[in-house]
Amino acid sequence: MKILIIEDEIEIATNIKNYLSSNDLICESANSLKTAIEKIDLYSYDCILLDLMLTDGDGFKVLELLKKQNKTEGVIIISAKDTLETKIEGLTLGADDYLTKPFHLSELLVRIQALVRRKQFNGNNVISFNEIEIDTTSKTVKIKGNKIEFTKKEMDLLLFLIGNKYKVLSKSAIAEHLSGDMADMLDNHDFVYAHIKNMKKKLKEMGAADYLKSVYGTGYKWEDD
Amino acid sequence: MEQVINGKMTKKLLQKTLKYYLFFSVIVMLLAAPLFYFISQFLYIDDADEELLILKKEFVTFSTPELNQTDIAVWNKWNRDLKIEKNNVQINKDTLFYQSYYNHLSKENEPYRVLNAPIAIQGKPYVFTAKINLVEKEDLIISIVLLFAFLVFILLTGLFIITKKISEKLWRPFYDTLQRIEEFEIDKNLNTKFDPCLIEEFNRLNHSINNLIERNILIYKSQREFIENAAHELQTPTAIFKGKLENILQRDDLNIEQFKLIDDLNNTTSRLVKLNKNLLILSKIESNSYTVNEKVNLKNIIENQLSFFKEQALSKKISITTELSDKIVVNSNHILAEMLISNLFLNTINHNQLNGQIFVKLTNHSITFANTGTLLPLQTEKMFERFSKSNPTSQGNGLGLSIIKKIVDTNHWNINYHYTNRMHTFEIVL
Repeated sequence: MKILIIEDEIEIATNIKNYLSSNDLICESANSLKTAIEKIDLYSYDCILLDLMLTDGDGFKVLELLKKQNKTEGVIIISAKDTLETKIEGLTLGADDYLTKPFHLSELLVRIQALVRRKQFNGNNVISFNEIEIDTTSKTVKIKGNKIEFTKKEMDLLLFLIGNKYKVLSKSAIAEHLSGDMADMLDNHDFVYAHIKNMKKKLKEMGAADYLKSVYGTGYKWEDD
Repeated sequence: MEQVINGKMTKKLLQKTLKYYLFFSVIVMLLAAPLFYFISQFLYIDDADEELLILKKEFVTFSTPELNQTDIAVWNKWNRDLKIEKNNVQINKDTLFYQSYYNHLSKENEPYRVLNAPIAIQGKPYVFTAKINLVEKEDLIISIVLLFAFLVFILLTGLFIITKKISEKLWRPFYDTLQRIEEFEIDKNLNTKFDPCLIEEFNRLNHSINNLIERNILIYKSQREFIENAAHELQTPTAIFKGKLENILQRDDLNIEQFKLIDDLNNTTSRLVKLNKNLLILSKIESNSYTVNEKVNLKNIIENQLSFFKEQALSKKISITTELSDKIVVNSNHILAEMLISNLFLNTINHNQLNGQIFVKLTNHSITFANTGTLLPLQTEKMFERFSKSNPTSQGNGLGLSIIKKIVDTNHWNINYHYTNRMHTFEIVL
């Protein structure tokens, strides 16, 4: 998968690149509107990460260009602006998602994956990890072909963990992902334990291997050893 | 509105002016009436004395040369107010005095001014007595004094009324200005332009107040913009910081101490992000970014957030009880209403204790959030200030209650706090 990062803050672009590159994603970055437009003209990408406030212009111009050229790249706006108006403007201009800075890179990764799934497979996609199969359309999880009863939160958690496989996740990143819009209201991340405990128990009962490792007591990592 | 300063009640300006006028009027009346009476009396007596002396002079000049001692009895018989008597008491000079005589017609004693003067008739010493009735003149004086008093009274009353009217008219611009200042709130963009008036001093006052207000609004605006810009600009470095931490976390060579340190940094960054967001929210509410008002169903908002906060409350084993009336629809910005409820929930959980309780009640006219807690009753005057923390060890940023208060103010609601039955209770009156 090819990703274009349009971001004038080089440090942020580097952070994103470092995190995403290890998950079979190829990242390119453009730190100005000019280079971004050149790259979009020349190549095609699976997903574009777009900052709105660029030194040489407004990021919305990229959205207009994509529309004019009938390109189908998925676009996630990553911006420090979090007013409702900007969000609505971005989404009506053709962006697919909106992430307010600062965000967790793990969150960005699962958003990219979800967007690419929606774009390329019309949402009809089965994510599998060894014996575990997740159907994102019918919202079902199967272990070795057997359906498992998962709550919406547990399913969300599983998708987040598998999406960030082989990555160390902090409890706060998981908590904020599960809380969605209410993430700013979090005071305590302990509720993550309960969800993880329940999910692990269900997976174990259905005969799945224990892929979720605890890292030094406070972090988690989904891996197959 | 009356206050006590140095043990004295403050009074309205007009009342105070009129009080002095009234005081002065009464003094003038009290002094002028008797003074006028005594002066008139003195003048009249002087007049009467002069008349008596003239009578005597006329008598001595015209009557004495022709009068015989034998005629005295006849003279006395035909003159009521002029008498000639033997000088038994050895009077040797003119004597003037008061004396009362009984009047047979009016049947009462009447005051007279009397002159006793030594005269000689055919070489023999006699006393000439002349008297003038003072009754009529006395009545006249009293009438004059009364009339005078009446005039003074009319004059002063008129003056009083005119002063009152004129003062009211003159001071009207001042009271207008006063009202404008009282209604002025720095975070509301009200029209603070004063109408020009014809009095220079008031124009100067209005001008100075205008300058003061404009300067304050300017300072307030730049301060608000500074906070907003600062919070906004901080987002990029925090994003970089956060990203770097997440990347470091992926390294294979981390030992447990390093991992714990990074995890702590992660949590601190979360606090920083939250603090920043709250500052931005406060600035945005102040700069009227949430102006679109719509019909908001409060019960829906509370119920939508309930599951999230029940989950949050679980780690402290806090139970949440609700009592929500249906169809409570209020006029508010939807985002603000959501923020209000979530901040109230957060507040009740943050300051709660293990195995505590939260009680949420929604009625036609109020939203109530009550919670148990380890803290003593809070100080109401400071609690809504920014960064005022009742519990210094709390992870909160001291902005939650400020946001609640701002939203309540923006919607023209009221918030009350009280501590009853060991429950901290916040009641928002809609």
